[in-house]
Amino acid sequence: MDAEPNKETGSAATGRPLLERKPLLRATSPQLKELRQLRIAIVHPDDADGRLLAQQLQRIGCQVQAIWPPQPSLPEGTDVVFLAVRPDHLQLNYTWTQGEGESPPTAIAVVNYENPTIVSAVLELQVQAILPTPIRSFGLLSTLVLARRNHKESRQQQQRIAKLQAKLLGQRRVAEAKAILMQTHQINEDQAYDMIRAQAMSRRSSVEDIAQAIVHASEILSLGKGVVR
Amino acid sequence: MNDPVRVGILYSATGTTSTIGQSQLQGAQLAIDEINESGGLLGRELVAVRYDPASTPARYAALAEQLIVRDGINVIFGCYMSSSRKAVIPIVEKWNRLLFYPTLYEGFEFSGNVIYTGAVPNQNSVQLADYMTSSFGARVYLIGSDYIYPYESNRIMGELVMQHPGSDKLGEHYLPLDATERDYAAIMQDIRARQPDFIFSTVVGDSTASLYRAYADAGFNPQTMPIASLTTSEAEIAQMGADVAAGHFTAAPYFQSIDSPANARCLARLRQRLGDDCRPNLCWEAAYFQMHLFANAFRQAGSDRIGDLLPHLLGSEFDAPQGRIRLDPGNHHTWLYPRVGRANAQGGFTIVRQATRAVSPDPYLVTHSLGDWTASLGALEN
Repeated sequence: MDAEPNKETGSAATGRPLLERKPLLRATSPQLKELRQLRIAIVHPDDADGRLLAQQLQRIGCQVQAIWPPQPSLPEGTDVVFLAVRPDHLQLNYTWTQGEGESPPTAIAVVNYENPTIVSAVLELQVQAILPTPIRSFGLLSTLVLARRNHKESRQQQQRIAKLQAKLLGQRRVAEAKAILMQTHQINEDQAYDMIRAQAMSRRSSVEDIAQAIVHASEILSLGKGVVR
Repeated sequence: MNDPVRVGILYSATGTTSTIGQSQLQGAQLAIDEINESGGLLGRELVAVRYDPASTPARYAALAEQLIVRDGINVIFGCYMSSSRKAVIPIVEKWNRLLFYPTLYEGFEFSGNVIYTGAVPNQNSVQLADYMTSSFGARVYLIGSDYIYPYESNRIMGELVMQHPGSDKLGEHYLPLDATERDYAAIMQDIRARQPDFIFSTVVGDSTASLYRAYADAGFNPQTMPIASLTTSEAEIAQMGADVAAGHFTAAPYFQSIDSPANARCLARLRQRLGDDCRPNLCWEAAYFQMHLFANAFRQAGSDRIGDLLPHLLGSEFDAPQGRIRLDPGNHHTWLYPRVGRANAQGGFTIVRQATRAVSPDPYLVTHSLGDWTASLGALEN
């Protein structure tokens, strides 16, 4: 049980009015709540560090599977992989961490050197955290929780960026299509937009797709005639 | 004559946590006396090398290193506050020695160099929340001392209570360790206005008495709005007076009033030595039985080195005053018997709920569940 007084507020408090503070009770974060559902693969030799790592993850309550030597793929549904990055296995080409489309597992590198060769290998693996050896039980939970949070946020950001890029591209297409229509039909910008929108409505398509089709058609029609735009 | 077996003891005889520290000393000493009276350790006398860390974490660390380096000690019994344990762990890890820690704490720790014999939240908070919400309701008011143990304890209590229909958190306040009755009187005014079903206190040390006195002065009735605690033991009740404490609740694996031959024998031996000048409580009991766990392992290992002891310690059992306890081999914590007691007019506890079997320690449990069958207690009341 802890009884370390808070030095900042710890002076004798006789009769002073109560200090209003932000309540400490807050919702426990999802990364802490999910710990007991996590399926974790430990790709690490069966030595003292590998065993300490597995034991501490089991104490935390995670579902742990140890794998060695490294396999071409991870068990189905692996949420987190602890990966030994060692001088004798640098030539291996792990592809799990860069899995595109589907959701790759959160990756944490377990390192026993930190020379530039190993650090470069770690960077290339795009891991979310590093765990140095010798493994200690203290700090593992925090590393795991932070890696999960960072991984989730970076995935959400990538999805958001992809969406924004598509949106931006669509906007540019619409602008191009409007310019084409304004020139070929001698109409103003609002009228050009209305034409695109009417087409989109009648074809049950998006404004961006119609704009793309107009730009595309214009490119084909203008072949050999020089640039229309 | 063989050399004695020397062990280190770091319980605070002075400073802010000396009330509990003194009773932990008494528990350790009683066990040492029993061990020596029954032939010692393989014919060797068990001798304690004792220092007073004065409730100061830095002193704990310095004295632990002194025990190891200067006195050649391999096993240390000690610590109360989490801050004192955190100060000693790097020392025992550095020298690869063993620490026995006999105190309830907030969990989320494992060191291969520590044996934990106090309760973690799945062995006291869950049972207390279950009892209080089903007996009084789920509108809770939280008061704590200002440091990490109350923060984490209140997080757990808040989560548990909020699983109950009609639950509400009506207040949450943290006061310094030296808070007085006047500080608590201000909170009592707020409690009067908000009318919670019960108050959860994680106040520790001397200010515990101030809280309960302020409650009594406000004229509240423990039968309708009691205080529930994990740390208000027989020792704190002796400080505040039985009349002030009566009717309030505490959850712990041990109360003096446990009705078992093992507890009766143990208390009789203690009073033989100290008369009425002792307040056996949950931390006293853990300090007592962990010394016997060590002694039994030593008898098998023939050595007090950590590597020799651990294989015999882990998984070992002992008939402690609370019941037959067991050291969990996986996490070094202890299987214990959660109980809920109501303070009575004699300064002790009337046990109203108790576990029918030992509950496994789960120090890394983030989300506790109200009504968890593994944690449910047998009723004793009425």
